Amino acid sequence: MNSDPSSINRRDFLAKTVAGVSAGIVLGAPSILRANGEGGSDQIRVALVGMGKQGRVLFEAMSNIPGIHFQAVCDIWDYNLKGGMAKVRALQGHTPKGYIDIDEMLATEKGLDAVIVSTPDFWHSPHTVKCLEAGLHVYCEKMMSNTIDGARAMVRAMEKSGKLCQIGHQRRSNPRYRYVLEELIKGQKICGQIVNINAQWNRAVSSSQDIAYNPKLTIKQDILTKYGYQSMQQFMNWRTYRSLSGGPISDLGAHQIDIFGWFLGAAPKSVYASGGNDFFKNREHFDNVMAIFEYDTPQGGVRAFYQVLTTTSAGGGYYESFMGTEGNIRISEQSAYTSIYREDSAPSWDSLVERGYLKRKPAPPKPEPAPGVIASYASAAAEGFELPGELSKQPHQCHLENFFLAVRGKAKLTCDARHAFESEAPIYWVNPSALSKLPIQFTPEQLSV
Amino acid sequence: MSNESCCANPKLGLVYGSLLLRLWLAVRAIQTGLEKFSGTKAADQVVNINGKANEYGLTAAGSIKNYALTNYHGVPEALMKKFEEEPLMLKSALALYDKMLGPALLLLGVTILLGIASRTSLFLLGLLYISLTWGLILIKQDEGVSWLGVHIILVVMALMLSENNRFALLKKW
Repeated sequence: MNSDPSSINRRDFLAKTVAGVSAGIVLGAPSILRANGEGGSDQIRVALVGMGKQGRVLFEAMSNIPGIHFQAVCDIWDYNLKGGMAKVRALQGHTPKGYIDIDEMLATEKGLDAVIVSTPDFWHSPHTVKCLEAGLHVYCEKMMSNTIDGARAMVRAMEKSGKLCQIGHQRRSNPRYRYVLEELIKGQKICGQIVNINAQWNRAVSSSQDIAYNPKLTIKQDILTKYGYQSMQQFMNWRTYRSLSGGPISDLGAHQIDIFGWFLGAAPKSVYASGGNDFFKNREHFDNVMAIFEYDTPQGGVRAFYQVLTTTSAGGGYYESFMGTEGNIRISEQSAYTSIYREDSAPSWDSLVERGYLKRKPAPPKPEPAPGVIASYASAAAEGFELPGELSKQPHQCHLENFFLAVRGKAKLTCDARHAFESEAPIYWVNPSALSKLPIQFTPEQLSV
Repeated sequence: MSNESCCANPKLGLVYGSLLLRLWLAVRAIQTGLEKFSGTKAADQVVNINGKANEYGLTAAGSIKNYALTNYHGVPEALMKKFEEEPLMLKSALALYDKMLGPALLLLGVTILLGIASRTSLFLLGLLYISLTWGLILIKQDEGVSWLGVHIILVVMALMLSENNRFALLKKW
């Protein structure tokens, strides 16, 4: 380990924080959540597989984490490969080895500890399984796979290999989300009985256009074909193809639907979805999707509505609202979209504010009753509150820190492949429900490995 | 009479004008160059909840601006991506430009501020602004092009006033 005292303190702090809290988060802990402290050397040797947009986001987040040595980079696109190698060089002062093919990388590179997989969804499962079978710990971006069987294979490979496999549902390691669940929902029970969940990610047409590319940088067709793409256009826009991804409901929705089950501590019993190609007529995947999940919880039934639109921002923002009899928590990765409201009939939250659990929002001006509106039909204005603190890092950083602490044997994963599967399994049934226009009552087989 | 006092040093206004323009252009270039080394660091003060530091890692809101060599970014990342997609933009030239833009602004700003080869420095600064203009034309940033056009006018005015340039360390060029 680094002998710098400040570095040690920071790591110790991270270790205590993540390890302590994650123990309470992981439900029904499986056997494989923590590495056994192997590789006690100073640095964790990492290979980066996939250096596209998300790969670069993860790299930037990792560049703030001490004790990582980036040994190799792998990407089939020379543009991403060279760019990724240059970024590593800029960070750690030497050029890592570059590979187009992951098999060649795994056969050549010696001494790797972990791999970061951020390839397109349909490659997640093959790449993750290969790496686990090669004896490496894996951090893989969500969605686990474009098929539920691909996701199942990842869980089996993790459990067979005994290696760590963290799935990139980064909210699971986000201090703001963890605080809301552990302190506000479970601890102080500020929502009362949660009766409904409402979440959305609305994205404007301008942000949902096909990704353009410089024709000079086109990958040779034989390479594209070898790696499962019909064309450069399909390579750049794999998210819109049914054979390569799950579409917007998995691309954007999976992060948020993950929170439903995590916060409720339950799996849904059914889903009913609707979707269509309302604007992007030629895309294989729906551009707008809505889904209703039904849950049975010890407190009672909960319906969770989720909407993902790639055709309008409708004012912007993305969030998950947990609506209860006494309060509503609207949480988002962005603090600007986060707000908490107390129902008028709920007990006072003054003591929570005094003890620092919540901050009070400035009260909005009281609206004058409009003529003709019957006052007794409208709910009284809810009192607004905020979280007491923020996340001072890039959102993915905490999740990666949790992964690397687990590799060092100092923490449990907050979202290993089995827990991620339990969260993602219902999502694989959204598109089938929307296509058939029928509700799906889940059977244990549909949601299990 | 006021006219007589004015005429006693008829070029004083031009000297002051030249000096002000030189200072403006120098400050503009130096601070723009310095900002290439700026970044923000999130506040990391841990929030107290129920009388003790929270164990989740929640911190006070806000961020702190800082300057460091490691923050350096010549061409902003958002623009870099757009430039890379332009067929007329040479990738190797873009990488070089990205590296030299900040230092070039700082160097030219300092030479203009101190009056070291003022005319040549102003000419080179004008060329730098033209190069920026070309990039912004490529990615259709018309407002930025207009803004740089104003800068070019100021550089030309400074060159026209250069015979009134005083307080210079090296006047030759």
